[in-house]
Amino acid sequence: MEYNSEKSLIMHVDLNSAFATIEQQSRPMLRGRPVAVINRRTENTSIVTASYEAKAKGVKVGMKFIEASRLVPELVAVESDPAKYRYVYRKLMAILNSYSPNVVMKSIDEGIIDFHGVPLKRSLVEIGHEIKKRLQDEIGSAMRCNVGIGPNRFLAKTAAGLHKPDGLDVINATNLRLVYKTMKLTDLTGIASHLERRLNAVNIFTPIQFLDTDVISLQKVVFKSIVGRQWYERLRGYEVDDWSSETKTIGRQYVLENRNLKRSEIAARLHYLCESVGSRLRLQHKVARGVYIHIRTIDRKYWHACQICQMSFYSDKTINTLAQQLFLKAPERIQEIGIRCYQISDNNDPQASLFCDEIVHEQQLVSAIDVINQRFGDRTVHSANTLKTSEFIKTKISFGSTRYL
Amino acid sequence: MNDEIFLNEQIKVVVAFGDGLNPCRPLRFRRTNGREIDITEIGLRHPNMQGKRMVHIFDVTDGSADYRIELDAERLSWRLTREADHGI
Repeated sequence: MEYNSEKSLIMHVDLNSAFATIEQQSRPMLRGRPVAVINRRTENTSIVTASYEAKAKGVKVGMKFIEASRLVPELVAVESDPAKYRYVYRKLMAILNSYSPNVVMKSIDEGIIDFHGVPLKRSLVEIGHEIKKRLQDEIGSAMRCNVGIGPNRFLAKTAAGLHKPDGLDVINATNLRLVYKTMKLTDLTGIASHLERRLNAVNIFTPIQFLDTDVISLQKVVFKSIVGRQWYERLRGYEVDDWSSETKTIGRQYVLENRNLKRSEIAARLHYLCESVGSRLRLQHKVARGVYIHIRTIDRKYWHACQICQMSFYSDKTINTLAQQLFLKAPERIQEIGIRCYQISDNNDPQASLFCDEIVHEQQLVSAIDVINQRFGDRTVHSANTLKTSEFIKTKISFGSTRYL
Repeated sequence: MNDEIFLNEQIKVVVAFGDGLNPCRPLRFRRTNGREIDITEIGLRHPNMQGKRMVHIFDVTDGSADYRIELDAERLSWRLTREADHGI
């Protein structure tokens, strides 16, 4: 198969060190200084994002703040501010949507514009420069982004990662081999260390060798599935990633703020997580049939339990009742606790049964509480059991999903 | 760790209203202790819904410290909620 010689019509826009850049934008005194965004104001917390100044001095995402501050004593830690990041996400999405109706936000800091079917009077490079400028005009002068242009999503994302920060690159059939020559296998999106080992086992050590491997070998020997063919096409610039996944689970987890909490205090935190999950479930107009809880202990042991019900549910009370039943069997010395609802389906609002008064009352109560919370703010009405837990458990933003933004 | 101070202080603000992308531009504010702060740059302005009440959050600087001031769009009142000099 030849490389895809179609005109490059996919653009990938990626904010540089998004949360740290947004903090530097909003707090001008932090510009040019090493900044780490953290989720909790403790030294044992992990770094969520580091600014380019911090990265240049060896600070890495995921590193403990205490280690990073030993490495860079002048490092400034800033607690994450979800409302601010959501605002920038919406601004970025509005900018991207003004160029094409086919925009997919892949995460809070990156989006893809598909220009297929869009009448173009300018080149995509020109549009890419304009997006960079608009980002600075409409959000702030410190905002920077990488823009990548390619014939498929994979090559557009690869192009966006070539010159960080503030780069703009195009990959197409003519320069594809040249680009791969400059890269390592793990530089390719989707190739982590375990896939690298698998490729190494069949004498593939570079992206060029990966590109030159025939489809049969990739499908039958390396990946032993259709994934091999997908990689063969993806590397050549053909689109195989134009799909979206359905919500299969909705959950939250929490690392305890203190290792010496009483069982009842941990149960209260679990209750809080159940309320949060219930709220997310209803926000997406979904119902669930199963509850799964997991525990990670101080000795790094993993424990989990689940329960499935015949009837679907969405109320905080039901989720918490099921979760607390499972929690009774949980081990001691807990460090992290999490809950997920699974067997998710759309809430089609079926006609209430004449013989289930309790369920109808519960549905009415849940709806009334949701209306109050939407009007007066999150957690205006909630269980008394979780009254003090919101001091510890705060809303955070994940990088990978745009579902709750 | 950042040396940010969290406050909830009512302030008086001089604001210019104009057009463009940032029509509301706070220029100067006076704290309860009488100190006046001249805003040299607005870092970011973002809205934050507190239920159905809109609060506009301005992250600003006077060149020696960063401040967060908040405009409650329902009550039309301003508050200083954060101050940080980041150890400079």
